[in-house]
Amino acid sequence: MGTTASQLGKDMLSEYQELTFLTKQEILLAHKRFTELLTRDEKDLANTRVPIERILTLPELKSNPFRKRICHVFSTSEYKDGSLTFEDFLDLLSAFSDSATLEIKSHYAFRIFDFDDDGTLDCGDLEKLVNCLTGETDDTRLTPEEMRQLINNILEESDIDKDGTVNLSEFQHVISRSPDFVSSFKIVL
Amino acid sequence: MTSYSNGGFFNPAYHDSETLEVDRRSSRKTHQHTNPYARSEGADGHYSTGQISSDDALRRMPWGQEESWRGRESIPMGLISTRPRSPSWQHDINHSTFQIPPEPQYDRSPSVRLPSTTSGNMTMRWRGISMRRMSLFPNGDPNQVALTEDAIRDEMENEEQNLVKELVALSTRDRIRAIRDLSMSFDEKKQIRSQVLAFKSAKKSRQFTCFADCSENMSLSFRRFGYGIRSARQTLELWQGIMKEIGGTFGTSVLSYFVFLKWLLMFNIFSFLVNFGFITIPQLVNDPWPDIPPNVNFRGLEILTGAGYFNNTIMYYGGYSNQTLGGLVEYNMQLAYFFTIAVYMVMCGIALIFSMASSFKTNYVLADPTSSSAWQLLCSWDFNITNEKAVRQRKNNLRVQLKESMSEKAQRERLTLSESLKHFGIYLGSWLLSSGLAIGSGASIYYLCQFEQQRATDAANWSLLQEAETLLVPIVVSLINLVVPLFYSLFNKFEQYSNHRNQIYALVVRNVLLKMSILAVLCYNWMNVVAIKFACWESMVGQSLYRLVIIDFLFLMFGSFFGEFLSNVIGTRLFPRLGVPEFDVARNVIELIYAQTLAWIGIYFSPLLPAIQILKFFILFYLKKVSLTQNCQPPRRSGRAAQMQTIFIALLFFPFFVGALSIVAYTAWSLTPSEQCGPFRGLNSTFSVIGVWMEDLEEISHSQWVVWIYQNVIRSEIFYFLISLIILVMMYIFWQVTQGRKLLIRVLRQQIVNEGKDKSFLLERLQNLQKSHPDKRSIPKNQKKHSKRRPDDHSSGGQSTSNAMVQALLARQQLEEERLSTGGVPVPSDISTSNALIQAMKARQRAEDQEREEQYIPAYYESPINTSSSVTQAMQARQRAVVEGTDDARDLNSSVSSVMMQVMQARQRAEEEDMPQWVPAPPKNQTPAGSSALIQAMLARQQAQNEYDDGY
Repeated sequence: MGTTASQLGKDMLSEYQELTFLTKQEILLAHKRFTELLTRDEKDLANTRVPIERILTLPELKSNPFRKRICHVFSTSEYKDGSLTFEDFLDLLSAFSDSATLEIKSHYAFRIFDFDDDGTLDCGDLEKLVNCLTGETDDTRLTPEEMRQLINNILEESDIDKDGTVNLSEFQHVISRSPDFVSSFKIVL
Repeated sequence: MTSYSNGGFFNPAYHDSETLEVDRRSSRKTHQHTNPYARSEGADGHYSTGQISSDDALRRMPWGQEESWRGRESIPMGLISTRPRSPSWQHDINHSTFQIPPEPQYDRSPSVRLPSTTSGNMTMRWRGISMRRMSLFPNGDPNQVALTEDAIRDEMENEEQNLVKELVALSTRDRIRAIRDLSMSFDEKKQIRSQVLAFKSAKKSRQFTCFADCSENMSLSFRRFGYGIRSARQTLELWQGIMKEIGGTFGTSVLSYFVFLKWLLMFNIFSFLVNFGFITIPQLVNDPWPDIPPNVNFRGLEILTGAGYFNNTIMYYGGYSNQTLGGLVEYNMQLAYFFTIAVYMVMCGIALIFSMASSFKTNYVLADPTSSSAWQLLCSWDFNITNEKAVRQRKNNLRVQLKESMSEKAQRERLTLSESLKHFGIYLGSWLLSSGLAIGSGASIYYLCQFEQQRATDAANWSLLQEAETLLVPIVVSLINLVVPLFYSLFNKFEQYSNHRNQIYALVVRNVLLKMSILAVLCYNWMNVVAIKFACWESMVGQSLYRLVIIDFLFLMFGSFFGEFLSNVIGTRLFPRLGVPEFDVARNVIELIYAQTLAWIGIYFSPLLPAIQILKFFILFYLKKVSLTQNCQPPRRSGRAAQMQTIFIALLFFPFFVGALSIVAYTAWSLTPSEQCGPFRGLNSTFSVIGVWMEDLEEISHSQWVVWIYQNVIRSEIFYFLISLIILVMMYIFWQVTQGRKLLIRVLRQQIVNEGKDKSFLLERLQNLQKSHPDKRSIPKNQKKHSKRRPDDHSSGGQSTSNAMVQALLARQQLEEERLSTGGVPVPSDISTSNALIQAMKARQRAEDQEREEQYIPAYYESPINTSSSVTQAMQARQRAVVEGTDDARDLNSSVSSVMMQVMQARQRAEEEDMPQWVPAPPKNQTPAGSSALIQAMLARQQAQNEYDDGY
């Protein structure tokens, strides 16, 4: 889309500035980091997709427990392979930036936590979420009994309409009451 | 068609109820009978190929009667393709669904989705529209049914136009913000933006004026300027890399200490610039060399004590003259000194109040009072953390915390009387002990000061020993500040607080008490003893403050050595049981606050103290960073960083800044300035400089208003009385508003709960109804078997209703039942959508019931037009029933339940009443019943599909 591989045009830059929460420096840095991920052949092509494996080599995402989910959520790929274009990448950074609004952040957090992409956080999603946060191996995982109790607690405190799942508005309600979220839902390049 | 390629996932309607496509769902369905909720890989294929085989179409419409449906375009049923081998599947998208037809203007985006969340109010508006449209369906007058599709398409177009208009109408800045705030992918935002811009340029070309052009250019350049400033700030951002590193390893809570440190540093740089610019530079220009007595030499110890050689320099109050400096313009040093300090203090106060208020607003007021909830743990995952080891550690900590939160919940009630008494005793003891310690340290410093004053003389030339003796007080003070908090931490270990936050608060409050008692004693000493004893007492106070600042800095360094390095050595070498220490954010922040308070008090006595403070904080930053990375481990407890930061700012403001301000104000108002030195020599009080100035001004004719203001506002009690009265009244009003909002929140919350109950009730009813028709469990592919079975099942119905239409509907319903049975998944994401879904299901159910009663369905096909009047009658009757039902429902239902729900429940009831009436209906009525039922079914299906799509 007019993005030359080596540098960004002025128009593109101002458009990116308008559409994201990033500053010029951040966009340029993002561009630099993104082009570093490209192979030599890809550098000449405009609008290349970088596969998820290479995206995850970024140190900012490397050890994040949600790294795959993040890529899938922000990917606009038709094949659902989690590959990112530069614009997707900007989108990601914008949502995780300092100045993004709570609504944007909670929206994307919800989608990251919604492992089966069905629009609600149900028991399965919550279980996966907890496992993601406590570690996947058997010795770190919570016991089924604990997990059940935990999910009950979670639903009890957030499922306002008592339908057994947490939907986006309920999630946003929860988020708005945990002030640490905004400062911790942040990835800086 | 970006929105398709995302399988609807990037769809703005992901959470809202606004998608109006029908087809995506159906295609998903045909291919994924096993799990209709998984992400649809198939959907893209359909759209990209743009073709769908007739086989596929047949499968979607399992009855073989499409032919007879030809020419019935007026029925707005998306799935029933009027041309089985129709031009393309795309046609259906644009024609039979409510998809907005591509507009020539925006040919790049044929499927522009309405952003359903532009901003809060826009979201509400879209939701409102969707509600209206939902209610439009089942009540639709049959005469309008044919028009419904067009009407809705129009409405959608209108909505889109409205959005674009709304965006266009906004100012450029607001529009950019609104577009930026849309929660959709970059491409979609880009499309919306280009649309709006296209619209805008089209509009502009029509009404092109010079003024509009100019203002546009102006706003553009302003915007550029704003971006430039943001970028520049980013470039100037101090220590960004280090901050990132700290955040990446230790998390946000530790990072907050460094953020706070940086913030204070900025504060000091500002105050240094102000003081240096308005007080020191004029003094230097006037008199570059301080008049130091000839027998005073620089001995080196001055760097620590600040006495001797420094005493007469511009470092302290005494070094400034009281002259009006000549030159190009007259510069009154007295006024400059007074106003610089006053304005600086006021600006500090305002900055603190604002940052405190905004921080309170975001972090505290909204926060849930019930702490340690599981969600807060889950949401507090730090995406900042990039260090592999830190991530592992954090996972472990989180697991422990989650377990604790559960066990806490279980144990909370089990606390016997003796246990709680014991806890209470421990609290009381430790509080008494710590208050005693604070008071004791205050008293010891008081006696120490008295002892020092007795020995000190007012000589210009101290011996080296005398000079060194002045360091006694600051060293003792700093020692107390270093040691006593360690005792407090020890007490804290014995107390068992039920939650971590209370523990930290207790620690913070004790430390604050200690620092306050020390500072109070020192200030008392300065104001009441030093001020009388010494000739140039302001400089003496400035010196003591200088000493305190310097020694405090040295002890902070010791503190990080003892506090962190030693305990690291102890923890790793001697007692591995203790482990590597954590960075104690609370203690360190209190130390910072204390240091800053010293600088604030000193601003009057020693205007260049901020320079020392800048140096101190700058070094401290690196020191703490090294100490942290070398000695500490990430905190075991996460969370509450934001709230702690709010508390710290509040503490900085309330006891400390306000205390410093009042001391400076007391000095300026009540104490007599020293007579031999400083800018205010010869005046009764510092504040009387204003009186002198006013007397001067009275002689100048055109500045009478300043004098008037001084006489009637500044010096009048009635003014302050009125101001405080107004403020009190406003506070009361705002307090009342807050109370009202709290009440409203409670009511709304209750309403949500009630809606949820209604929803589950209706779902239950629906399931019960469905259970009473066992045949719905059959699979659509077994059509023949199914149709054979049907007559047996419904022998009571009399006639065989083996037409494929019913089966198709049943098949769909069965799919939906599957949805229901797959475990809560299908429960729609919004209450409003759930209502509609229930409605849709109900309508279909009704339609099926009615169809079953039909005896001769082909009649419908033969005479579709004749029946319209009777259809109308039927519908009207039903509507009447609905209305009656509504009235009943109002009485029965609780007042909070929404009217919409009432109507639906009422209709349900009315229909249940209706059903028996329909059964014995005369044959004449049966055809219209069938047709209306069909139409309803179709509408319902369409709606259900919409809702289904919205779920994605």
